[in-house]
Amino acid sequence: MAVTESLPGPADLSDDQQEAVEHLLYRLADDEFVAAERYTEWQVRSPTLESDLALANIAQDELGHARLWYDLLEDFGYTESELVWERDAEAWRHSTLVERPFDEGDWADAIVRSYLYDQAEHVRLQALEESSYPRIRDRIAKIVQEEDYHREHAENWMERLAEEKDGLERLQDALDSLFPHALTLFAPTDEAVEDRIDDLGIRTRSLDALREDWLDAVVPYLEDLGLDVGDAELPEQYDVHHSEFELPEHLGRDQSHTDAWFDLQEEFTNTYRELGRHKANRIMKDPDEA
Amino acid sequence: MIWEVFRQEDAGDYHEHCGNVHAPDREMALMFAEVQHARRKPTNSLWVAPKDEIGEVDTEDAKFGGTTDKSYRWASTYDFEAAASEVEESTNEQVEAERRRKVQQDKQEAQGGD
Repeated sequence: MAVTESLPGPADLSDDQQEAVEHLLYRLADDEFVAAERYTEWQVRSPTLESDLALANIAQDELGHARLWYDLLEDFGYTESELVWERDAEAWRHSTLVERPFDEGDWADAIVRSYLYDQAEHVRLQALEESSYPRIRDRIAKIVQEEDYHREHAENWMERLAEEKDGLERLQDALDSLFPHALTLFAPTDEAVEDRIDDLGIRTRSLDALREDWLDAVVPYLEDLGLDVGDAELPEQYDVHHSEFELPEHLGRDQSHTDAWFDLQEEFTNTYRELGRHKANRIMKDPDEA
Repeated sequence: MIWEVFRQEDAGDYHEHCGNVHAPDREMALMFAEVQHARRKPTNSLWVAPKDEIGEVDTEDAKFGGTTDKSYRWASTYDFEAAASEVEESTNEQVEAERRRKVQQDKQEAQGGD
């Protein structure tokens, strides 16, 4: 991709530029925040104390990353309350993959989900390392470091669950239900705005290219484990528009969501509302000062 | 399966026992140990070892240190006149070994630091 000129700081962006930066930040922040919300449901319910702590640790990492991205949205004048605690559920832009509820005890779902998600996270963060927007570029390195553990964790579990027939079946069931939702990770928030994100060099690979990168990584891996990745047969379906894939009814990115999301959002904002809060307490330094 | 975990704070330090984790194999044990024993404390290295592989002898089985005066085993006990040359050499050797260990450690730290 051609070298793009660096964008100015938040105060000096044109409206079009700011809209593009915002869409990209919402993709990142909302994914991390909602993924973490779901992971925390496993606390005291994971198969062992150790797996509980490992997943809780990953959830904490993701919340920390969400915080870094929401902080960049605050550059534009939004408050944490507006971004998280008081934002309409219909306005969120995370992929439907991260909002899906877990069936009780379905650990394979947590593992497959984090595998699919963290591989996608890996390719999309690489496409931001050279972002034309300095505020994004500067935060990537910190986040990338923590992501290695997430992928290692998911893969270690995937490989062990795949060793036996029962485990493999559980993985397959989880994959069947999650794979279409994982594809929405690469769905556009809005075609025109996504094109602008690419044209401005805020992201150095397009969503289609990222989806290819992701499929190149996950499909052979899953098949080696003995899993069937049905409709993601490659390479015939390369370079096709998203609609060629069997996508779920709701994409998340376009602010349409599955019912499970509205219940989850209701739940995590409940205490805030019950206490009659209007702003969020801050217990940590601003990431720019830390 | 239980794995005992040993944490080393800085290069050159001993690995000290810090707890254990349940895990089916070594790779998973290391992965869990990382979260439980290295995230909140400065850590340079972790070891895990299967609990069953660790040998133990305790005070029920042995009299550590014995019951008689063992001070004759210490070189310093013989330091009653002008230092015997053997004592002096031994002391100097220890000082020199300690110095080299520190230099080595500082060097490793400096390399790890940039």
